[in-house]
Amino acid sequence: MTDMAHPPAAPAKRRARLGLLRRLNLSTWIGLVIVVALVLAAIFAPWLTEYSPSKQNILHQLSPPGDGHLLGTDQYGRDIWARLLYGARYSLTIGIFAIVVAMIVGTFLGMIAGFLGGRTDIVLMQVMDVILAFPALILGLALVALIGATMGNIIIAIAFTATPAFARIARAGVMTQRDREYAQACRALGFSGPRILFRHIMPAILPEVMVMSSLWMATAVRTEASLAFIGLGLAPPTPTWGGMVREGYDNILSSFHLALAPSIAILLLVLAFNLIGDGLRDVVDPRLKDAS
Amino acid sequence: MITKLMRTGLAAGLLAATALTAVPALAQQTTLTLGADAADIGSLDPHFASSTSDRTLAAWVFGGLVRFQPGSTDPAGIEPDLAESWESTDDKLEWTFHLRQGVQWQGGYGEVTADDVVFSIEKAMNPDTSAFSGDYAAVDSVEAVDPYTVKVTLKNQIPSVLGILANYAGGFIVSKAAYEERGESFARNPIGFGPFELDSVEPGVSATFKGHADYFRGAPQLESVVYRFLTSSSARDLAFVSGEIDASKGLADKQWLARSSAIEGAAVDIFDPAELSLLNINVTQAPFDDIKVRQAVAHAVNPDIFVQYRGPEFTRPGKSVIPSNNLGFSEDVGMYEYDPEASKALLEEAGYGDGLTVKMLASQLNSLESNALLLQSLFEEAGITLELEPVEHATWHQMIRQDLSPLVQYGAARFPVADVYLTQFFHSDSAIGAPGQVTNFSHCSVADDQIEAARVETDPVKQLALWKEAQELIVKEVCAVPMAEVAQVWVRKAALDWGYELKGAMSLGPVVTEATHFTE
Repeated sequence: MTDMAHPPAAPAKRRARLGLLRRLNLSTWIGLVIVVALVLAAIFAPWLTEYSPSKQNILHQLSPPGDGHLLGTDQYGRDIWARLLYGARYSLTIGIFAIVVAMIVGTFLGMIAGFLGGRTDIVLMQVMDVILAFPALILGLALVALIGATMGNIIIAIAFTATPAFARIARAGVMTQRDREYAQACRALGFSGPRILFRHIMPAILPEVMVMSSLWMATAVRTEASLAFIGLGLAPPTPTWGGMVREGYDNILSSFHLALAPSIAILLLVLAFNLIGDGLRDVVDPRLKDAS
Repeated sequence: MITKLMRTGLAAGLLAATALTAVPALAQQTTLTLGADAADIGSLDPHFASSTSDRTLAAWVFGGLVRFQPGSTDPAGIEPDLAESWESTDDKLEWTFHLRQGVQWQGGYGEVTADDVVFSIEKAMNPDTSAFSGDYAAVDSVEAVDPYTVKVTLKNQIPSVLGILANYAGGFIVSKAAYEERGESFARNPIGFGPFELDSVEPGVSATFKGHADYFRGAPQLESVVYRFLTSSSARDLAFVSGEIDASKGLADKQWLARSSAIEGAAVDIFDPAELSLLNINVTQAPFDDIKVRQAVAHAVNPDIFVQYRGPEFTRPGKSVIPSNNLGFSEDVGMYEYDPEASKALLEEAGYGDGLTVKMLASQLNSLESNALLLQSLFEEAGITLELEPVEHATWHQMIRQDLSPLVQYGAARFPVADVYLTQFFHSDSAIGAPGQVTNFSHCSVADDQIEAARVETDPVKQLALWKEAQELIVKEVCAVPMAEVAQVWVRKAALDWGYELKGAMSLGPVVTEATHFTE
């Protein structure tokens, strides 16, 4: 355990990272490939389609796939492929940033609660429990309805719903680490509380937090899509995947591809984040390692 | 052998079961189930029923002194309802109505008398107890001459007295005893003398009506009507295709029409009144206080796009600021041509050469949401960025009545005489924030004189000329830009006979009458 207090040399770190990559299973790699592909598609959207995602062409409404439009057009004659590509930008940005914010805030609060204990722990964790008591979608819905559906607000709302999960896991991690020998040694050497917490304990709990973040990214993508589906997403004509499902719903009996294409995109992204999360957990979780 | 016997037995059993279950199918269906585009009942106090769904239901429960012929919105065809006959003085200021005797209220509240009529009209005139009090500004007094005679006295002549006393909006007659007994709960426990009475409401699920056995035109052929709340059009379509519902509110959309027309055993009803969608522009708020900006908006709107989007079967381009079925409508009112280049030039003159960004609250109701998206695209071509702020429909109704959106796209149909629409949408007395606020979202006042003069003009030719002049002034001032007129649309099983040919319904939905029945 003393190796946690005294970080290993740089080559050893590199070896550890390579070891981690080698231990990733096939499904994790599939997840990574999907996420990278979607990120690239979102970045290079203007090169992958000649159409604008919001340009209407009423004369070509509801064209079937093919016919000059890879995935057809919607009821306003807008190209579905272009809307999917540009829509990936919003789903990815919201999914990733919301969880990064939740991870930073939640981990910080959880670490403080776990390290200090006492009243701070009780108050912080009870607040987290109250937030956790609400389903993510319901809480996100209430917050977005309250503060408005802008990109920043949706990120804040989803981050708010995810924060308690990170706080809980960080607190549990800190509580198991704070009385270990290396932490006691740090105290004996006169290190300050923040230094022990952030420099020595935090590296020990980060792998679990990272695993949690990839799993929650899937939830964030679903929540954003659900909010857009019920009309609380980004305002039209912004092409969000959830919004596309919503708009395609009215014509689902005659032009099911309108809702199917964005649904598959959401499915792929959520699946990819889950595969990555599961794979990382398999690698990081010592219990699973022992079992294997 | 045993297996063979078992198979034979099973087949016999199935045959017997089929024969037994077939027996009830031979009986005529007496329960009608409808799919509504509504989440719940709002208010069934007919003087507050303003949503499409509530208006539809009020017309089943209540009646008026006179009524539009079932299936028609033609004021010329107004016929007796509670009143058997009526006459007026030569100056058209005193109207006497002779009531039918023996007409019974629902729920055992006894006979309908002149007291109920007086109470109802006075209630409709009172802004505290009616959303339509503005329609009765010309009524001076209402009195019961005897239990079966009512006299209505006017302060001045109005274009259509029968219009405000018909089975529409404030013209519905309520039971005085039931209203006084039930108070505010009357809105969910209404009592009228119409063919159907409310039996029960399951909030958010359905409302059930039962036939009014003592209805004066005869007991309804249907025993009950179940009105299911299905806000999703896809859910309504699926319920209709599966036979779960017998008729359903449709979508004014050509894809929906093609899909529904192709269903075997289904018939589509497209009927009046077509609701005119206007883009109302608040002339008191910047940047729209500059007429050049308003003219730029007028040149940016292409009414034909809305027709192309929805389909010509139920959509007509807007050609004036009042609906085309209104007495007094004029097509030749100097509408601005669709010309995005002219818009850009006007914006340049107004100091917005680099483009203009404006915000609009947008209802999430399907038809309004699609109109907003079409407008957004049209505006973009004219150099105007339209930022939409989507809000839930009921909230949108509240917010636009607080002047929170400088642009309000609003679709409506009213009693088909120009005075009603012009007054409610363009007279300064009806402006948002005014004591008599109705739906003048634009704060238009440019045609007040013409509207008022036409209201009391007795010469029909002069009256028409005044209404035309009012429309020209409103168009020229760009208080509103006409978009399109969209008719009502429902789909039903062909075996469902409304009891009349459905060509129009002032209640914006099919009127279920004593004659409505299934032919199979």
